[in-house]
Amino acid sequence: MATKIEQLHFLIIDDYGDMRGVLRNMLQSFGVTHIDSVANGREAMALIESKRYDVILCDYNLGDGRDGQQILEEIRARRLVGVSTVFVMITAENTRLMVMGAVEYEPDSYLTKPFTKDLLAQRLERLLNRKADLLEIENAIDHKEYDVANALLDKRIEENPKNVNEFIKLKADLCIKAGAYDQAEAIYSGVLVQREIAWARLGIGKAYFGNRRYDEAKMVFQGLLDGNERFMAAYDWLAKTQLALDEPVQAQKVLETATSHSAKAIVRQRALGELAMANHDEKVAEHAFSQAIHLGKYSIYKHPSIYANLAKTKATNANGEAGLRVLRDLKKAFKGNKEADLYSSMTEAVLQEDMGNSVRARSCMDNAHELYKELGTKAAPELALDMARSCSKMGELDRAQEFLQQAVKNNHSDEAFLKQVGATLADLGLSDDPNALIADIKKGIVRLNNRGVELAKQGKLDEAMLLFEEAVDGMPGNKVVNLNAARIFMLQMKKSGIVPKRIDQVREYLTRVRQMDSENRTLHKMDRMLKQLLDGAKP
Amino acid sequence: MKFYDVLASLIHDMKNSLSMVVHTLEQMTEDPSFHYDKPERVTALQNEANRLNNNLIELLTLYNIENERISPTIEDVDVANFLEEVIAENHASAEANHINLFAECDPDLYGYFDEGLVRGVMNNLVGNGLRYTRDTLCVSASQEDNYLVLRVEDNGAGYPKEMLAAQSSQDLHRDIAEGRTQLGLYFATLIAEMHKNKEQVGFIRLENGYKLTGGCFSVWLP
Repeated sequence: MATKIEQLHFLIIDDYGDMRGVLRNMLQSFGVTHIDSVANGREAMALIESKRYDVILCDYNLGDGRDGQQILEEIRARRLVGVSTVFVMITAENTRLMVMGAVEYEPDSYLTKPFTKDLLAQRLERLLNRKADLLEIENAIDHKEYDVANALLDKRIEENPKNVNEFIKLKADLCIKAGAYDQAEAIYSGVLVQREIAWARLGIGKAYFGNRRYDEAKMVFQGLLDGNERFMAAYDWLAKTQLALDEPVQAQKVLETATSHSAKAIVRQRALGELAMANHDEKVAEHAFSQAIHLGKYSIYKHPSIYANLAKTKATNANGEAGLRVLRDLKKAFKGNKEADLYSSMTEAVLQEDMGNSVRARSCMDNAHELYKELGTKAAPELALDMARSCSKMGELDRAQEFLQQAVKNNHSDEAFLKQVGATLADLGLSDDPNALIADIKKGIVRLNNRGVELAKQGKLDEAMLLFEEAVDGMPGNKVVNLNAARIFMLQMKKSGIVPKRIDQVREYLTRVRQMDSENRTLHKMDRMLKQLLDGAKP
Repeated sequence: MKFYDVLASLIHDMKNSLSMVVHTLEQMTEDPSFHYDKPERVTALQNEANRLNNNLIELLTLYNIENERISPTIEDVDVANFLEEVIAENHASAEANHINLFAECDPDLYGYFDEGLVRGVMNNLVGNGLRYTRDTLCVSASQEDNYLVLRVEDNGAGYPKEMLAAQSSQDLHRDIAEGRTQLGLYFATLIAEMHKNKEQVGFIRLENGYKLTGGCFSVWLP
C-alpha cells in the first residue's frame, strides 16, 4: 500500500502566485503539511537538488526559463529524483498537443486546469497506489537488473490483473532494450491481434528495426503516420529507418514534416540540422540549428556541437563574421567546458581559413589538437568526425585519415556511426572505397576479439590477457574491447589471485565504458563481477 | 505570431483566471464560517464558471479539429476510474445544486479511446445534465455490441422530439450554421466520429427514458 498522503513531501512549481496558493490550499485540505512552492525552474532545481520530494506538481507553462517538460527532463536525466517520485504536469490545454512528441521522459500524469479539489485527491490517490504497485519493477529497471524486472513482470502478467496491458507493455519495452527483438515482436503481435493500438504497432516497428528488417519497419512507421499525422515518435523512427536504408534525402523530408507539426523538440531539430547539413541543404540546416539553440537555452539537450554547426552553416549562407559571432555565443553559453572549447577552436580554424586568416586558423587548429588530446577517451565519437573535417580543411590529410580510422576502431559495432564515418571519408575524398576500408578494419578487430575469447575458453588466460591489454591500448575508446579486457582480466585473477595493479586496470577500462555509455548492460554485469571478485578475495 | 499561438496563450491566461474563480468559490462554500443568505447565487456563479470553462475547452478543441491539429491518441483506459474522475470533477457543483450525481460501471471494464478528448465531452454532458435534470444524474459505461457505451442520463423533462432523430456531424454542422442546434452536440458527435476501429465508427445517440425518466445521451465508441 502507498504511504499516507499526510506524510508526503510536495513541491509546487507555478509562475502564477494565486495558483500556487490554490494548490497549497487544496493539499492542506487533504492534511498535507510538507509543502514547498516556487515560481520557476531555477528555484525548483535549487530545491530539488537539496531535498527529496515525493510528489511534484508542475505547471507546463512557466514564462521565461525552463518549461515544465525541461524541468522533468533535467531532474530525471540527472537522477535528482528517484523512480518513486510522482511528477504531475499541469497544463492549460486538455490535449497533449504542446508536449506531444517523442519525449524521453514523460510525467506520471497530466492534469488540465482548472480542476477541482476532488479530482486532484482522486488522481493523487490513484497515482500513489500505482507507484506503490510498480515500484519494485521500476526500481529493478532503474538499477539495470533486467532479469529481476523480467521475473517480476512475468509474475504480474501471470496473475492477469485488469491493467495487465501495462505490464505487457513494460515487458516488451524491456525486450527492446535488451535486444531481444524476436521476443518483443511476439509480445506486440499478441496485443495487436486483439486490437489495433498505437504503442504496440510502434513497438513492432522498433523490433523490425532492431532485427534490421528495415523495409518492414519503414512500412509500419509509414502506416502509423497515414493513420495519425501527428504521431511524432513515428516520424523519428521513420527517419532513422530511412537513414539505415541509405535514403538521407527522404529522411530529411520526414523530419521537416515532423518539425512543422511540433517545433518544440530540441533533439529532433538538432537531428534535422545534422541531416540537412550532410545533405548540403544549408538553409534548412541553419534554421533547424537556430531553433535547437533557441529552444534549448535552459535544456539538458543544449550542446556545443549545435552551436558549431550553426556557425558553419551561417558562414556558408551569409559570411564568416556571422559564423564567428555564433562561436562567441558558444563560449558564453558553455563557460569552462573543455568540449565546448574544442568545438569552438576546430570550427574557428575552418572559418578563419576560409576568410583568408591562415595564421589565426593555424593557431586555432593547434589548440584543437591539444584539447582533443586532453579529453582522451572522454571525447564523444562524433568529435573525431568533426576533427577530421577540420584537419582536412587545414591540409592535414594524414591526420584526418588517422582520426577516421581510429573512429572506426573505437566504434566498430555501431552501424549508424560507421555510416557517418564512411560518408565523411567519401566527402573528404580520403578513400576511394570507404566501405571496404571500414570493413577491413572491422574484420581485424573482430578477429582479434574472437581470438582472445577463444584463448580464454581454452583456459589460456594469461595469453588472452596479454592480447586484450594490447588491443585496449590500440583502441582505448572501444566499448566492446574494454569490456572484454575487463572480463578476461577478472577471470584470470579469479583463477590466479588478485593483483592490485590489474584491478586498477579493470577499473580504468570500466570507467571508460561508463563515460561513453553509462546505460550499457554488460557494463553493469562487469561491475557486479568486480564486486564479487573483490568480496571473494576478502579473508 | 500565428492565430493559434495567440489563441492558445489567451486560453492559458483565461484558464488561470477561471481556476481562481472556481477555486475561490469552492473554498468559500466549504468554509463553515461563511454565511450568505442567498447561497443559490454562489451556486449560480459556480455553474456559470464551469460552463465557461467547458465552452473554452470546446472552442479550442474544435479549432484544433478544424485545422487538423488533433488526431485521437487511442489508449487503454480504466473506464471505472475514468468515470470516477468525471464525477470527482463535477461533485462539488452537483452538491451545490442538490443533485445526486453518481457513476455505474463494472470495475474491470477497460476501454480504448482518447482520454483527453472524451473527458471534454463527458464534462460537457454532465455540465448540461446538471442544468436540465430534476435531482438525479447518472453516468454509466458498458460494453454493448462491440462498442463501449458511455451514458449520461437524468430525470428531467427529456429531449424535445425534434432533437431525437439520429444525426451525423454533417447534419449538425448545417444546423449550427442555421442556429438550430447546440454546439455541444456537434462537439460530441465530431469526437465520437474520430474514434474508429476496423470497420466501425463512433457515434452518439439521444433518447428519453432509458433507465431514468429523463434524457439519455450516449456516446458509442468502437
